[in-house]
Amino acid sequence: MTQQAISNLPQSEVRQPQPRFNMSQRQSIMGYLLVLPVVLCLTTLVIYPFFYAIYISFTDRMVGQPGNFIGFANYRYLFNWIDFRATVKNTIVLVFWVQTLKLVLGMGIALLLNQQIRGRQLWRSTILIPWAMPAFVAFITWKLLFAPQGGAFNYILINLGLVNSHVDFLSTKALAMPSVITASFWRGFPFWVISFLAALQNVPQELYEAAAIDGSTAWQRFRHVTLPNIRHVVLVVVLLSTIWTTNSFEAIWLMTQGGPSNATMTFPVLAYFGLQNLRIGEAASVSVSMLPIFAMLAFIVAYLLQREE
Amino acid sequence: MQKRILWAVTMLLVLLLASCAPAAAPAEAPAAEAGGDQEAAPPAEPADTAAEPAAGSDEVFTYWGGLIFSDAANQMLVDRITQWGEERGIQTEVVMINQNETTQRVSAAIEAGSMPDALDMGEGLMLLLSQQGQLEVLDDLYGEIGETHGGWIDSVNELTEIAAFGGNRYGIPFGVGGNVLYRRTDALEAAGFTDAPETWMELRDMAAAAQNPPETYGMGFALSNVGDGNLTTTMLQSWGGRVANDEGTECTLDTQETRDFLTWITDAYNDGLFPPGATTWDGAGDNVAYQSGNALFIANPGSVYLYMRDNDPELGDATQYSALPAGPVMRLAPMGAPNYRVIPTTSNFTEEAKDLFRYLAEDEFMQEYYFNAIYGPVMQSQVDFPIFTEGPVHVGLLDLVLNGTPPAYPDVNNAAFAEYGTNFLTPRMVQRVVVDGLSIDDAVLETQKACQDIYDKYQ
Repeated sequence: MTQQAISNLPQSEVRQPQPRFNMSQRQSIMGYLLVLPVVLCLTTLVIYPFFYAIYISFTDRMVGQPGNFIGFANYRYLFNWIDFRATVKNTIVLVFWVQTLKLVLGMGIALLLNQQIRGRQLWRSTILIPWAMPAFVAFITWKLLFAPQGGAFNYILINLGLVNSHVDFLSTKALAMPSVITASFWRGFPFWVISFLAALQNVPQELYEAAAIDGSTAWQRFRHVTLPNIRHVVLVVVLLSTIWTTNSFEAIWLMTQGGPSNATMTFPVLAYFGLQNLRIGEAASVSVSMLPIFAMLAFIVAYLLQREE
Repeated sequence: MQKRILWAVTMLLVLLLASCAPAAAPAEAPAAEAGGDQEAAPPAEPADTAAEPAAGSDEVFTYWGGLIFSDAANQMLVDRITQWGEERGIQTEVVMINQNETTQRVSAAIEAGSMPDALDMGEGLMLLLSQQGQLEVLDDLYGEIGETHGGWIDSVNELTEIAAFGGNRYGIPFGVGGNVLYRRTDALEAAGFTDAPETWMELRDMAAAAQNPPETYGMGFALSNVGDGNLTTTMLQSWGGRVANDEGTECTLDTQETRDFLTWITDAYNDGLFPPGATTWDGAGDNVAYQSGNALFIANPGSVYLYMRDNDPELGDATQYSALPAGPVMRLAPMGAPNYRVIPTTSNFTEEAKDLFRYLAEDEFMQEYYFNAIYGPVMQSQVDFPIFTEGPVHVGLLDLVLNGTPPAYPDVNNAAFAEYGTNFLTPRMVQRVVVDGLSIDDAVLETQKACQDIYDKYQ
């Protein structure tokens, strides 16, 4: 049929080439293709290692060996291990106190820096120094500050006459964990301050003005205006920081290596010790045993965020 | 437009997949079987031709050297390997790693398939890796190098021939460590002590009489979870305690001898003879304590001596050296397990690595290296190096090599004993008493159980 003949046919009889997918399907495919790289990367770098670690924890795998499936043997060993029981307790204590301090002081400093105070920009920049400092440098410095001889804290305490002899901060059971908590808090609180500060700046000023007209006190304004408006940020920061603190290795390793005895032993340090014997299965079971804590945290935060919405 | 986006996404995918691929190319040659004698690379060739295949190649020969407390010795090793590479036309990369972290680095590298072509390691790790089939068998090279240098010293030869290695040698020893007792003669003589202590109990009395806290503390021995803390295992053994039975299968810590030792050392701690922080010291804790003048006695392989020689001759003049004291039952002078150079079965440069080991063993290099390092000799040709008659610590190290007791003795030096050591169970037992306030009995029973759990893994 010639071109002329086709053009003479009624419009309804001309067969239009049918696309394989309609517009909606094409957009869906496009969407899938666009997220595919992320899915692939997540699968390769996160999901696969995650499930693989769980699998390894059920084997007697050693470095360079495939290992055999041994069921819950690693976990039975773990739960009967005195170091592990101390580790669970220490991790909870460390995370609770570090997060509480960060929350209270981080919020307080953020509220302060949100006011029209003199040198505000300078203070806002200065507050970031601990966060910007390499963890290694920060914790070695803290170790030196805590040193029983030549350490700044002992120097101050002795010269002020507050103690008669050197205080062994990092080697005394009662003081080791508080010392590590202090250093960890100091290193991590700027993240909280900056996050809270950013959230505070997004709270509409009119709400405060209306509250002030209604005669509300400062505490009432914080309770009923500030907090509800920054709650999402607080929850996300708490979740992220809790995960980071639970996983934090440098603070403990550089300051106490889990000692004295097991006074500061936490999950990451215990897993690191597990690797010293090339027993990957055991080390993996230590790491995997942290999962319920993270799962619970993620669930709580997700629940709270959903309830807000 | 959509086609362009699709094309871009496809390219991105390809790039992502490429970036997610393993970084290291798989070894071309198959790995040797565990404990077997099948070698991964072609048969050995003469040294001067061994490097030929790699000459001009883009592949880099990677060596992990173990850092020691001597910058000069560390640099010498780097320079020597670099020089070897230049002479052989091989690109080299020398990475010096903290020996306290060798195990973790090696574990990660094995799993990631990124092991170096050759590396330094201690005996414990070599034992574990050889049982995993991760190391090349080096019997021939061991014999050849020994023959070239007048033979291996008998004690070294025996140490490298332990049953756990299955009759094979997986490493070339290059230095023997071991603890020498340092004492501050100025402080001790002021308190009326001129001679070295013969027993640990005598040492304790001398320390108590001569120390002046908080300026000085008598017993600068680590009680923390580091390698130095395992000196307490030697002490325990000199009290007659044993980690395990003669077969090396059952833990035997639950004895009166262990209790006696634990009572003695915890009493010394509670009497304030240990410097503050000894329960959390890192690997340099005793070094720092002695070098800062804070400890009167320490046990150290020689790094402190090197420091004093180069930086603090006054403290060096006030220091004398002797063998470790005796306990109530026996005197142990354990020569440290030798340090070895090994070749992973995944190495792409097996023959080149063997050639490098020959090169590193040359007397001219080792004579200068020992001057700066803290090792005792391993081969007969090295015994006559001047440093082993001139340097006080080196004399002690030579004495250890010739007359010392084997590592782990009287216990059996096997993988379970190595794991007992890497878990620092003896210093932890001490910590449980002095830090946690556990009774002697409870601490011993708890450690016995933890120890037996380890030995059970190897049944």
